[in-house]
Amino acid sequence: MAEKPILEMRGITKYIFDSYGVAIRNSTVRILDKVDFDLNRGEVHILVGENGAGKSTLMKVLGGLIPPDEGEVLLDGKVIRPKNAKEALEAGIGFIHQELNLCGNLSVSDNIFMGREIVRRGVKDKSAMRAKSAQLLDEMGVTNIPPETLVKDLSTAQQQIVEIAKVLSYDCRIIIMDEPTSSLTQREIDILFALIDKLRAQGVSIIYISHRLEEFERVGDRLSVLRDGQSIGTLERRDFDVDTIVAMMVGRTLGAMYENRHVPGHEPVLEVRNLRLEEKTAPISMHINAGEIVGMGGLVGAGRTELAKSVFGYRKCFGGEVFYQGRQLKTLNPADLIRHGIVYLTEDRKSEGLVLDMDVAQNISLASLFRMFPRFFMFGGKERELAEKTVSQLNVVCNSLSQLVRTLSGGNQQKIILGKCLATNPRLLILDEPTRGIDVGAKAEIYRMIDQIAESGVAVMMISSDMPELIGMSDRIYVMRGGAIVAEIQDKADMTQENILAYTIGKNA
Amino acid sequence: MQNTLEKSKGTSQSLWVRFLKNHGSILFFAVLFLLSSLFVPNFFTPRNVMTVIKQAAVPLVACMGLMLILTTGGIDLSLGYTLGLCSVLLGMMTKRYGIAAWQAIPLTLLIGAAVGLVNGSIVQFLHVPAFIATLGSGYVLYGIAQIFGKGDAFYQLPEDLLAFGTSRPLMIFAGGVPEEAMKNGLIGQILKLPSYVFIALIVAAIMYVVRHKTTYGRNLSVFGFNAKTARLSGVRTARLNVATYVISSTLVALASVLLTIRVNCAQSNLGGSNYTFEIVTAAVVGGTSLAGGVSSVVNCLFGVLVTKTLENIVNLMAVNIYLYQPLMGVVILIAIVLDAWKNRKL
Repeated sequence: MAEKPILEMRGITKYIFDSYGVAIRNSTVRILDKVDFDLNRGEVHILVGENGAGKSTLMKVLGGLIPPDEGEVLLDGKVIRPKNAKEALEAGIGFIHQELNLCGNLSVSDNIFMGREIVRRGVKDKSAMRAKSAQLLDEMGVTNIPPETLVKDLSTAQQQIVEIAKVLSYDCRIIIMDEPTSSLTQREIDILFALIDKLRAQGVSIIYISHRLEEFERVGDRLSVLRDGQSIGTLERRDFDVDTIVAMMVGRTLGAMYENRHVPGHEPVLEVRNLRLEEKTAPISMHINAGEIVGMGGLVGAGRTELAKSVFGYRKCFGGEVFYQGRQLKTLNPADLIRHGIVYLTEDRKSEGLVLDMDVAQNISLASLFRMFPRFFMFGGKERELAEKTVSQLNVVCNSLSQLVRTLSGGNQQKIILGKCLATNPRLLILDEPTRGIDVGAKAEIYRMIDQIAESGVAVMMISSDMPELIGMSDRIYVMRGGAIVAEIQDKADMTQENILAYTIGKNA
Repeated sequence: MQNTLEKSKGTSQSLWVRFLKNHGSILFFAVLFLLSSLFVPNFFTPRNVMTVIKQAAVPLVACMGLMLILTTGGIDLSLGYTLGLCSVLLGMMTKRYGIAAWQAIPLTLLIGAAVGLVNGSIVQFLHVPAFIATLGSGYVLYGIAQIFGKGDAFYQLPEDLLAFGTSRPLMIFAGGVPEEAMKNGLIGQILKLPSYVFIALIVAAIMYVVRHKTTYGRNLSVFGFNAKTARLSGVRTARLNVATYVISSTLVALASVLLTIRVNCAQSNLGGSNYTFEIVTAAVVGGTSLAGGVSSVVNCLFGVLVTKTLENIVNLMAVNIYLYQPLMGVVILIAIVLDAWKNRKL
């Protein structure tokens, strides 16, 4: 390391804040506690840590979204204090968020040049912007995204690429990627990695936040671990070792991730017959037994979420019958189904699972008010009791029960949604990507919870794009492609990544 | 990862900020009341203070209704016209057709409920933004009111109708109070408060429970913040949304009955868009978010008091009466700016 790092962060400290964003300086809990971090030219520096370890907060400090309470950021040896995302961008620091920040109704080129449109004679020069966008995408080796397409018509991976193009168009030397692969398929991930290699060769430095241990060796040059707001250490690539990393992250060694104790029953809880997701797709028939965890494999967009939402009555379907505990469900709507004991945990926690501006207790009780307060009036402390029980049972880290959910980390938010679903006392639990964007420690906890739920006789349908999770948790797996079920894998021995992948992409059809 | 469920240790300063953010309208009213008492002649007299309270009673009832709709993220711009229509129909029923008050009042409330059902259905099932839907329906209601009332007003309403709002329930305690105190003292003024003030207070008390202590009130907030989450969490959102418009318009109809009685005159011009604007101002000053989700009965009560106190001051200072409207405009702008400041995220 003869070269001086282009970026240094020294002693960054951020205090925990209350639900109104006021720093609580005398609290024992700090989000960041004197964190140091550096980044060399043309390297990919991986940042890992459990949920709530402070990764996102550290990056928000760097990206100018929140100011540090103590410490300084040095770019090329000079102290910078970006006050907002735009200032950070102009300093050469681009931030690609986990939830993409693009306008769906605008074209690719409009998104790339948002806020600094090329203007000729007072009018937006569309053709120049398109030409430059095309050139930019071309340099990145991307040819399948025409600049005039609307962003909402692109796949998630393509949107991610647009986001990267936007950042590059600012001549950014540092790019922060927060969980870029969490909603991508394997093929899309390969495209992204190829792009990262290219950027690295051009001397761009990348801070890469991820929970996916299997990716680290493929992309990373160095790796730093954060735990409870403190930097634990930095590893060189040659020292990357799953056990070491995990031990650094959790401060303890994990037991086996998938230690399932539940035994699937034989009595069907849910039976779907000849249900069509679209007018022209093939009919779907499937069933889930009591105490059974049924995995749903397939690519993003294969129709798994659509199937779950159709069964849950949130989405229209075309023909077919749904039987629940032996009786046919005539009309499907979420309110009735929740009262019958069916509950759906969404993949999109921020816009469909939580009310970000309400507090922890209110979010936990969200779906079970009808059960707790059947008489309309909400007197008494039942809601608080439920919240306290859930928080301790699921090990949610929060300041108080009246903390706004917006201020919690992703993993803790996910636990709250799970708690919300469990509070309804379900007989059928539909989980849609239950561990997306969650660290290994929290993952293991959620797996244990799911196993316990199944053990108590609840039927579980689990949609997952995480192969090890799908294989580790499921008693049976349905694989979906093009809006239909293409395979049912019953035998544990047949549940291999290769096998599932083959069905997923249609090789052995 | 340790489980940290410790109480947040806010400093005294942040407690102040918190109170300001949650109950700004109370502080606003307190300051306004204090300044007016000190500097506006004749403001701080028992008679004038009771006048403000009497003037605030009817808008309070209407504001309780609008608050519910604002909490869903919607708005009711037909409020003033609903009020006018109900007034005309009440006048026609009692004056022209001689229907007894105990029948005419419930019928008027039913008409209000029907208006709410139509408004709510347009918003919920035809997916028209509440802003446009109620703007349109408001003009329709105004037209209907004009056609029914033929532009006339009904004066000198029947005694049984007036008794509903103007009787003085506290006068049963008046025995033994000296005549002088009865005439000008605070006690006399309180004892002489008409029943519509108490009806308004009862409505506010009921709405407090409904808004803050029932599953309906909670789901209202959830729906206002995030309709998708509400639906996926088993809230019957369509029913909730339409019911909110029905409840709200019923309350507006009640406000119409009380206002008609108060001014002893039934006419279609009783409400109008100015009235709508005044109620929206009161609700917003009362901390109700136009984006939905946030509202509070107590704050709305003080929001109404603020607007009515301002009106009273303009009257007392005998400045140009047209000053009231621009003043209200400035107040609502300030309130919205403060609301945006309050909700600014980290």
